[in-house]
Amino acid sequence: MNSKTGIVTWALVRDTFREAFARKIFWGFFGCSTALILFFIFIMKIDVVEGAVATVSLFGNTTRGHDVQRLVRQAHAGIAAFLYTAGMFLAVFASAGLIPTVFEPGRIELLLSKPVERYHILLGRYLGNVLVIAANVFYLVLGVWIIFGVKTAVWTPGFLWSSVIIVFVYSVLLTVVLLIAVVWESAVVATMVAFAIMFMSPILAQQSLLERLLTSEWSRNTIRVLYYALPKIFDLGRLARALVLGDPVIDWMPVWSSALFGLVTLSGSLYAFGRRDY
Amino acid sequence: MTCAVETKGLIKIFRNRWTGKEVRAVDGISLNVEHGSTFGLLGPNGAGKTTFVKLLLSCAHPTAGRAMIFGRDSRESEARRPAGYLPENHRFPTYMTGHGMLDFYGALSGMDATALRKRIPELLATVGLAEWGAVRLGKYSKGMLQRVGLAQALMHAPSLLVLDEPTDGVDPIGRRQIRDILQSLEQQGVTIFLNSHLLAEVELFCRDVAIIHRGKVALEGRVKDLTAGSGYRVEAESVPERLQKELRTKAKSVAERNGHIEFLFGSRDEANQALDLLRAGGCAIETMARTSSTLEDVFVKTVNEQ
Repeated sequence: MNSKTGIVTWALVRDTFREAFARKIFWGFFGCSTALILFFIFIMKIDVVEGAVATVSLFGNTTRGHDVQRLVRQAHAGIAAFLYTAGMFLAVFASAGLIPTVFEPGRIELLLSKPVERYHILLGRYLGNVLVIAANVFYLVLGVWIIFGVKTAVWTPGFLWSSVIIVFVYSVLLTVVLLIAVVWESAVVATMVAFAIMFMSPILAQQSLLERLLTSEWSRNTIRVLYYALPKIFDLGRLARALVLGDPVIDWMPVWSSALFGLVTLSGSLYAFGRRDY
Repeated sequence: MTCAVETKGLIKIFRNRWTGKEVRAVDGISLNVEHGSTFGLLGPNGAGKTTFVKLLLSCAHPTAGRAMIFGRDSRESEARRPAGYLPENHRFPTYMTGHGMLDFYGALSGMDATALRKRIPELLATVGLAEWGAVRLGKYSKGMLQRVGLAQALMHAPSLLVLDEPTDGVDPIGRRQIRDILQSLEQQGVTIFLNSHLLAEVELFCRDVAIIHRGKVALEGRVKDLTAGSGYRVEAESVPERLQKELRTKAKSVAERNGHIEFLFGSRDEANQALDLLRAGGCAIETMARTSSTLEDVFVKTVNEQ
């Protein structure tokens, strides 16, 4: 990457952060993350007895005799699940608006007139969006991980990996938002389609059960195609949980097939953006 | 010598995806803008001016033909490096400050942090916004936005400046300020391409113009040539009836205004002969001048003839 490419990429990323700050998107996430971190610092008390058994106190209610390792992993899994579902919805909902704003008349012409390739503009904006969310996810996960580590001396790395999966899934969903934003310039449609993919994922994850229930070959094929073609949000959630709990990951197919979906969608966005007139 | 702007048979056809209906927004425009000139692109609303500028700066793709900036196809990103652009109806992000906006667009033009630090205060001072750099653009008036927009176009010291309605919404003092900046740039050899419907402004500032109508070049040339008249006007007072009759036979037209009589002659000789007669008849000569058209006259005539 030459210096001019670096300058332009950094400018586009910084601009996305600036917009996220101005629209309070970044601060909204940062505030929620901080509140959760403070909750674990001040509200939840864990006393480890003899290194393995813990007493947990939450809002003054105390439970005793927990296996520390198990307790920490369960807590991590709960937080990861919360981030993976509610956090993901919020992330897509909040950041979907950051993409179509670039295509507003009067703004896009100025960007396109600069000595920057079109794909660079789009990728810079995409990267900026991913980093806005990644910064908050890593902040929250790392913060919680350190708090639990300090309070229990349990430093399982699985929870940290879950943040990578969360950011990965977000970056795949963002390619959908990007494609729709380029083609239709609508944040609402982009959000709706991303949510639809998220909602369909648990249904499609029951693909083998559905295939047994469906009588028509056409329906079975449709389910199969949808399952393999769309990002496997639900399966990736299970994979993240397995990583957190320290269980073995049997199948990495959801990762690479979702990555492939993201790559294809991203390429489609770049192609459409390259051909559009503004 | 390489032209700053050169288009060859530039065509842009917009097709409605559903009805298949076509609109030829730009219909085979070939234009050359010399390096260092001040060029005005004129045309009625919907003539294709803004589409032409968008094709020139690669915001839209031509259906046919080519647009070049300093000899390079403008679709190449590097070809656009020497160009600065202020679009019509721009929407600068309101969350940015004046300083931040210049920083962002300067960086997109490839300027590094050191160059930006030096250039931004200079330009804010040039456009009279030195005190406003830290204020968000949302608080700027329309005129201030135009001026900071001009500063944005000048960030990387371009050799070609493309301005689409640059004084739109600017008060007379701001207009003068913008004109002064443009004049100083012209003296530095910057090519200025002005797309404006303010004919007086174009006439005052531009050396060359092209009038486009229905996507085609209807007329192009030097402003002084296009506005040069083809006759002489003689205005006199107290012209006796007999002399009036004699001069009416020689003049192309005669008009009476506030007790004065105005004769229009086709040539300098005819005008001089009339002056001799008027002096001999004891008439008071008010004016003797070569007639000229305003750019507005030329524009209206050109558009109406099409």
